[in-house]
Formats: sequence, C-alpha cells, structure tokens
Amino acid sequence: MGLPDMTSPSPQAREVQLNYADTSARTVYCTEVEVPFPEGSLIVSRTDLQGIITHANQAFIEMSGYEREALIGAPQYILRHPDMPKAAFKDLWDTVMRGEKWHGYVKNLRKDGSYYWVYASVVPNVRGGTITGYTSVRRKPSRVRVAEAAALYEQWIKQEVAPS
Amino acid sequence: MTLNFLIAPDFSPEHFAGWHMLNTALQKRSGMQLHLLTPTSAAEQADFLAQDKADIVYANPFDAAHMVRTLGYVPFARPAQRSDEMVIACAAASPVQKVEDLKLGCRIAVTDNKDIKLIGQRLLEPADIGPTDIEWVIVDSYQAAARMAIKQEVDAAFFLADSFASLSRMTRSQIRPLVESAIHDISHVVLAHPRAASQLSALSAALLALQTDEAGQTVLDALGMSDGFEAITQEDAEFMIDLMDALLD
Repeated sequence: MGLPDMTSPSPQAREVQLNYADTSARTVYCTEVEVPFPEGSLIVSRTDLQGIITHANQAFIEMSGYEREALIGAPQYILRHPDMPKAAFKDLWDTVMRGEKWHGYVKNLRKDGSYYWVYASVVPNVRGGTITGYTSVRRKPSRVRVAEAAALYEQWIKQEVAPS
Repeated sequence: MTLNFLIAPDFSPEHFAGWHMLNTALQKRSGMQLHLLTPTSAAEQADFLAQDKADIVYANPFDAAHMVRTLGYVPFARPAQRSDEMVIACAAASPVQKVEDLKLGCRIAVTDNKDIKLIGQRLLEPADIGPTDIEWVIVDSYQAAARMAIKQEVDAAFFLADSFASLSRMTRSQIRPLVESAIHDISHVVLAHPRAASQLSALSAALLALQTDEAGQTVLDALGMSDGFEAITQEDAEFMIDLMDALLD
C-alpha cells in the first residue's frame, strides 16, 4: 500500500522523491522548521510485523501532525525524513527481527514538512516466544548527540547516493 | 484460605488508612479472606516475594514486569484514569531553571522507587547526564527528598508526581518543578499469583465495582483513586512492560 504524495507547505520547501523498501514511492516536502520535543513526554507507537501502525499515543499524533485515522493502518515510514539514511532503518529492522532492542537518533518528518528529532527505542513484542509486532518509544534527545547523528547520517547518505 | 494482599511501598502516607479500608471492603464484598501486607521498603517487598508470600499484589510497573514475565503473575486491574508520573524539582531559589542546566556530578535525591528513578534518568538525557554522572543521595521518603532540595543539599530531587502533589503547601512553595513526565501509558497494576487466579472472579468483581456505590467511593477517595479500578488484560500489561523495557537503556 503506497502513501499519497505530500502537499507542498511552502514554495521554499525542499521536494524529494522517497523510495521505500516495499517498492512504493512518494514525493515529500521538507522545511527547515524544527518542532521541539514536548517536555516530559514519550512518543509511543506499535506496529505489526510489516511496520503498519496499530497504535499511536496522543504525543505521537500531535508531533506527527496527522489525524489518528490517517496514522492507524499507515506504514511507519509515513514519518521518514529524507535526511535519514536507509542504512539506519536497515539496521533497525535487522536488529528487531532478530528479537533484539534497537536504539538510535531519528529525524522525523511531520505532515507540514517540518521535523523533530527523537531518541528512539524499538522493542519486539514477544508473545509466547513469537514476535507479534514492535513497540517504539521516542524520548527527548541530547542536542550534542543529535548533532553527532546528523553529521553521521549526512555522510551515510552521501555514500548511498555515490556511484559505486 | 486467606490470601496475602501485598501493597507496593510507594504510596503516599496519607493513603495508608485507605489501603486498610480497601482490604476490609474487598473481604466484605467478595466473601474472601485477605491479609494485608504493607512493606515499608522495596527490600522488604522483595523479601515477601522471595518467600512466595504474595497472592495478590498492587505492584508498581517496574516490579510488575518481572512478576508477570518471570513469575507468571496474572494482571487483572489497574487504577482508572491514573498513570504513574514523576517530577524532577529543585529549590525555588536554585539557579537551575531547566533540566539542561544540571551539570555532570550533580547531586540528586531519590527514594528506592525504581520506576521513578528510571523515568527521571530518561528525563535527564537531554542534559547529557547519565546515571553514572550523578551523585545519587538515597532518602527514605519524598518528604526527606523535598527537605534536601529546599536546603540545596542536593541540586534536584525525584518525586512520584502524586507524592509531590501531596507535599504541604509550605513545602511546595519552596521547591520548583523542572520537568514533569507526561507518559500516560504506565501505571500500577493489580496482579494475582497463578495459585490464586482461580479465585479471582469474586475479588475482581468487587474491586472493579467499588465506584458504583457510596461506601465504595469513600474507600476509593481515601486511596486517592476516585475513578476506581478498571480491568486490564494480559496484553494491556504486556504492552506496558514492553514500554518499560524500551526505557531500560
């Protein structure tokens, strides 16, 4: 199931074509506006094994800019920001599919093209010895670590687009 | 057969009588015999659990994770409309205005409540302060934590939000919250040991129906849980445990 293209929020917004692992694609728009992480909150969501959102708490909904109805049933990559390298998400999926926890800094794209940084932890939901889905908990990140992650991700993206 | 009903030791002192009222009300309404266990510390609670003495437990979420996943306890109720939140506060006169103003090596007063310490540590991450960067000052009560914060013997103190709210007006006027958690998805839960699970229906029904009559509501008010208890499924508890697991590191 593909996501519809985003609507450009402003003439200055950067337009990017994103290609996802499920072979779907969409056009997204990003601005340089950063939205601060809500103090004291945790952003919580759950997905099924295919990464389809099955639960989103209020902080998740508010920070994403989408309505709950648009999020439930949508792929988690609805929040994918083009500044995030594919390698980061490959590492995430490889780790949780092995039944292990994944932690990392993630830049998320909001519906209006602005962004927010999180420190994300993803845990497999193990029920009766079987992984049935994943819970993702995001918390307010350290700005020092965000700066480090942003620099690293920029390098990874350059490597991803460079001809081999 | 009498079931031991263990209450996690992190409730506010003013609710102590409320737990005895609840124990009495549940016996009367369910026809079951309950013996209340009120350990005064996490260590004392651990002793009761190690001796396998707890049949019914009002557990904090951190302990519930171990009890459900390792010991096989069955979750069946939780306080309605009431999540476990925490507050990081400092002296009103402190120069610290936000969490990010706290420095490496800062002194923080904590009780032995693991949930509160864990959530507080996560709220300190934006300041780049890890647990080993802090000089922890262990105190017996939230009142003691408040006194140390007010005297600036510590840079900040961790509080269960309910306990912070129940500090005297005088005390609260001398301390200032830096941040309060807004997690919503973590709460205490009521668990039954597998050996007690078959006797649960009468007890569960009595607990969940307390708010439907005046006498029951009086008990709930004395506990500071005016919205009563609601049923919780195994999956509800597992979800909360996954969330706690995600916060562990």
